[in-house]
Amino acid sequence: MPPAVRSDAHVFAGGVAPPAGTLSNPFAGDRQAAGDGERIFRAMNCDGCHGGGALGWEGPSLVDGRWRYGGGDGEVFHSIYYGRPRGMPAYGGILETDGIWKIVTYLRAQPVPQDVPTEQWTP
Amino acid sequence: MTWQPSTPRAIFSSLDAGVFMRPCRILLLLSLPWAGAQGQGRDDGQWTMPGKNYASTRYSTLTAITAANVARLRPVWSFSTGVLGGHEGQPLVVDGTMYVVTPFPNVLYAFDLAQEGYPLKWKYRPDVSATSVGIACCDAINRGAFYTGGKIVYNLLDGHTVAVDAVTGKELWKTQIADMTRGETTPMAPFVVKDRVIVGPSGGEFGIHGWAKALDLATGRLIWTAYNAGPDSAVLAGAAFKPFYDKGPELALKTWEGDAWQTGGVPVWGWLSYDPELDLLYFGTGNAAPYNAEQRPGDNKWASSVLARRPEDGALVWAYQFTPHENWDYDANAEMILVDLTIQGRLRKTLVHFDKNGFAYTLDRVTGEVLVAEPFTTVTWAKRVDRASGRPVVDTTRLTGASRGNVRDICPSLEGGKTPVAPAAYSPRTGLFYVATNNLCMDFEASAAAHIAGTPYIGASTPYHAGPGGHMGAFIAWDARVGRKVWEIREPYPVWSGSVATAGDVVFYGTLDGWFKAADARSGKVLWKFKVGSGVVGCPITYRGPDGKQYVAIYAGIGGDWFLLSGDVRSDDPADVRPPADFAPNLARHTSQGGIVWIFGL
Repeated sequence: MPPAVRSDAHVFAGGVAPPAGTLSNPFAGDRQAAGDGERIFRAMNCDGCHGGGALGWEGPSLVDGRWRYGGGDGEVFHSIYYGRPRGMPAYGGILETDGIWKIVTYLRAQPVPQDVPTEQWTP
Repeated sequence: MTWQPSTPRAIFSSLDAGVFMRPCRILLLLSLPWAGAQGQGRDDGQWTMPGKNYASTRYSTLTAITAANVARLRPVWSFSTGVLGGHEGQPLVVDGTMYVVTPFPNVLYAFDLAQEGYPLKWKYRPDVSATSVGIACCDAINRGAFYTGGKIVYNLLDGHTVAVDAVTGKELWKTQIADMTRGETTPMAPFVVKDRVIVGPSGGEFGIHGWAKALDLATGRLIWTAYNAGPDSAVLAGAAFKPFYDKGPELALKTWEGDAWQTGGVPVWGWLSYDPELDLLYFGTGNAAPYNAEQRPGDNKWASSVLARRPEDGALVWAYQFTPHENWDYDANAEMILVDLTIQGRLRKTLVHFDKNGFAYTLDRVTGEVLVAEPFTTVTWAKRVDRASGRPVVDTTRLTGASRGNVRDICPSLEGGKTPVAPAAYSPRTGLFYVATNNLCMDFEASAAAHIAGTPYIGASTPYHAGPGGHMGAFIAWDARVGRKVWEIREPYPVWSGSVATAGDVVFYGTLDGWFKAADARSGKVLWKFKVGSGVVGCPITYRGPDGKQYVAIYAGIGGDWFLLSGDVRSDDPADVRPPADFAPNLARHTSQGGIVWIFGL
């Protein structure tokens, strides 16, 4: 059972962070685990919403460096395990913890493009 | 419906004359919405159901706006729905009130057209589950409402149908019809025949077991459920079932391998029609699931088909499958337009349908016989439709499947030669159909898919490219008697808007880059256009206002598949900054998301 995870993106009322556990990825930086994670990402139909390569579709891109619910390892784990509003299914019931961590590892292994906020059509 | 898993390259890969008389509600109850086989007959200047009439002609006999004066059309009113997203479907106008259903969260607005500025009479804000946003395959859209007997009936995205009192806005009943945990959502517009409210689910990308249901108009109680695949007992194929081409029992079971029909998709998310003389309800079914067709050998009946059912008990009377063993996501949910046409010298009761597969079909709506089937856009997956068997002659090099690798240059793309989202119109004055079309082709790389309830069940990557000519869409006029294109207006982007035809010989449609246009119904000359603030994926209507004048209304609000395909048209989510689709890199230069109701008049 994963502990509650604190999001650093939140404002802490009174400047005091709530008590929370931490989660660390046991496969962090493991290239084989990232490869496994890519296969699990497809096998669990994650690409059905997030697109091939996790580039975004009905669901958001997971490789653009921007996050709705926080981009820390533990936050991404939580999003997969418990799901999120607006349609992200909770996979904690059918995926082993290791499988979720491998998906996190796969996403982490993707190159994040430089964040260019400007889309330009004229020279 | 439509889904395109991305590769890194792909996503970024009668009574018309005279002054308006406010009809009292008794008159409304007495007036039959059926407008005759040709879409003519009684027309009270209102717009009470999605397709204007039971024949779904989207034809109005109003004559004030004509080809001669439409250039003077001007905006008279606009309203922000407060929702960004694909504004599909159309408003209704009944008894001096305009009704607008928004995309999720499915707010229903009632505007008082008799007051200056059209203030709201009321708005209805249902409790809709946000989970539905992610279970809907392709944006959280809604295709509109149906008015009958003092009720506005429509579907909430999360699998509920509601009936709302048209005068007070009070909820009369709310019935759960679909199950999101199975991947079912409900963006389609209900269709009411007598006291039956006919509804169906989306979920062709989630491996649902597709169905149509009838609810009691008075109470919302479920009356019948008819599945689109499976045993005859579930499909309601009994003694009355006499398809023109297929023979024998259990057709919708034997044409699947094993229990593939249980997760075979076959949704109902499009438009319905009804012929009161034949007492037949017509609707199309969607794609078979998953997209990797090798996981479901067989014809997969009745995916990608038209079904003719009795509204009373749902009994299947005939069925015709446009695309047997559907390989390309060619849903057949597009409208079935019921008109009587003279084919080879003989007047026939016909059903005209523009399929995603690129063929326009003129069927005998009594029997399901194919009378005419000709391509209306570039088609490479099939050479022709064989009249003797009713089956397409497939180019086997364009068949897809996980073992076939990347199959290139399939036309149309899975957006369809015409999207079912954009219903055509028919003018009995010109004898022509007015059709929004796409000129897109695709490559199709299938892969094995696992069915996990509540998650997508797809298995394909399908990047698009423009078809011959380079333009990605056209608005065309079609002669369904012979299967011939009469004129076309080429558009740079796919045309994703419905259309309306009028007795003033004007047709209206919108474009993805945000133009609303009027064209001469006979020549195809564009006579007027106006930039409406967002791309158009909705359907125009025309009506007579309380002041007796003719108006035209349209939604602006790009979305649906274009929410997915052109992620850079959105600006409301700082966490979602996708680059443009590679095949349409400039669309976001001309539009962004919106949600605006426009009314135009002279």
